[in-house]
Amino acid sequence: MRSDPDLAHAAAKGSEAAFAELVRRHQARVRGMARRLTGSEAQGDDIAQMTFLAAWQKIGSYAGGTFSAWICTICWREFLQWRRRQKIEIEFDETAEIIPFDRPFDRSANEAENRMDLARALDSLTEAQRVCVVLCVAAGLSHREAAEATGWPLGTVKSHVLRGVAQLRTCLASADVA
Amino acid sequence: MRDEENYGDLTRLFAAEDAALEAAPFTAGVMKGIRRQAMIRRLTVGAFGFAGAVIALLQLPELLSAFVGVDHTVTSALALARTEISQAAASNPMWLAIILGAALSMAAVSMTERT
Repeated sequence: MRSDPDLAHAAAKGSEAAFAELVRRHQARVRGMARRLTGSEAQGDDIAQMTFLAAWQKIGSYAGGTFSAWICTICWREFLQWRRRQKIEIEFDETAEIIPFDRPFDRSANEAENRMDLARALDSLTEAQRVCVVLCVAAGLSHREAAEATGWPLGTVKSHVLRGVAQLRTCLASADVA
Repeated sequence: MRDEENYGDLTRLFAAEDAALEAAPFTAGVMKGIRRQAMIRRLTVGAFGFAGAVIALLQLPELLSAFVGVDHTVTSALALARTEISQAAASNPMWLAIILGAALSMAAVSMTERT
C-alpha cells in the first residue's frame, strides 16, 4: 500500500486517482472533525468537502510529515472561515433561532444513543475545550500539531485537552448511570 | 507516558463513530467538485487565451508598421490583406477553419494547464 506522502506527491503531479485515495483514507477523520466543530452533519460535510477542494489546490505545498495533521489544519481554517460567515449572517438576522444539531435517526438505537452521548458530552465543554478535544482526542492530532494548527500556545492546548477530557469522562459516566 | 495516551479509549470511541461514515459517496462528491473546478478553469483560460490571440492578430499590422515604418508597402499590404480576409471570411469557409485551428491550439494549451 502506498504511503500518504507518495500519494500526495503523485497528486501534486496531477494524479486524480492518487488524490481520491487520500480522500478515501482521510474523509472519516475530517468529516468527524468538521461535524463536531460545527455541531451539524450537513454543515460539517460541506466544510469537509471545501477542505479537500482546498487541499487539492495546495497539495504542492505539502512538505511531508503527517498528512492527517496537514489536512486537519486546512479543515480548521475552513471552519474558521465558515464561522466568520455565520457570525455575519446572525448579525443580519436578529430573529434567527438556534438551530439544533442534526441527529442521526437511521442507525441502530444503541449506536445512535452512543453518538448522542458523545455529542451531548462535547456540548458540555467550553468552545476552546471542545476545539482542543476534537483536534487531539477525536482527530488524533498531537498537542504540538494542534497548537500549530490553531496558533494557540502548546500549554494552553494541553490544559484545554486535560480539562476537556475530564469533563467528557464525567458526562459520559453520568450518562451511563442514567 | 505521553499525554496523548491518557485518552486512547475516548479516541477509539470517536474513531468508531467516524468509521461508520460512508466513504464512497463523499469521495465521489469531492472528485466531482475537483473536475468541475478544473473544467471552469480550462474554459476561462481558453476563452481569455483565444480572445487575446484574436486581439493580438488584429494589432499585428500596427505592430509591424512600427518596425517596417520606412517601407510603407508592407504595412499597406498587411492592412489590405486584413480587409480582404474579412471580406473572404464572409464567403469562404476556410477562414472558419483557420479560427478553428487557433481555437484548438488554445484548447491544447489550456488542457495542459495544471488544475
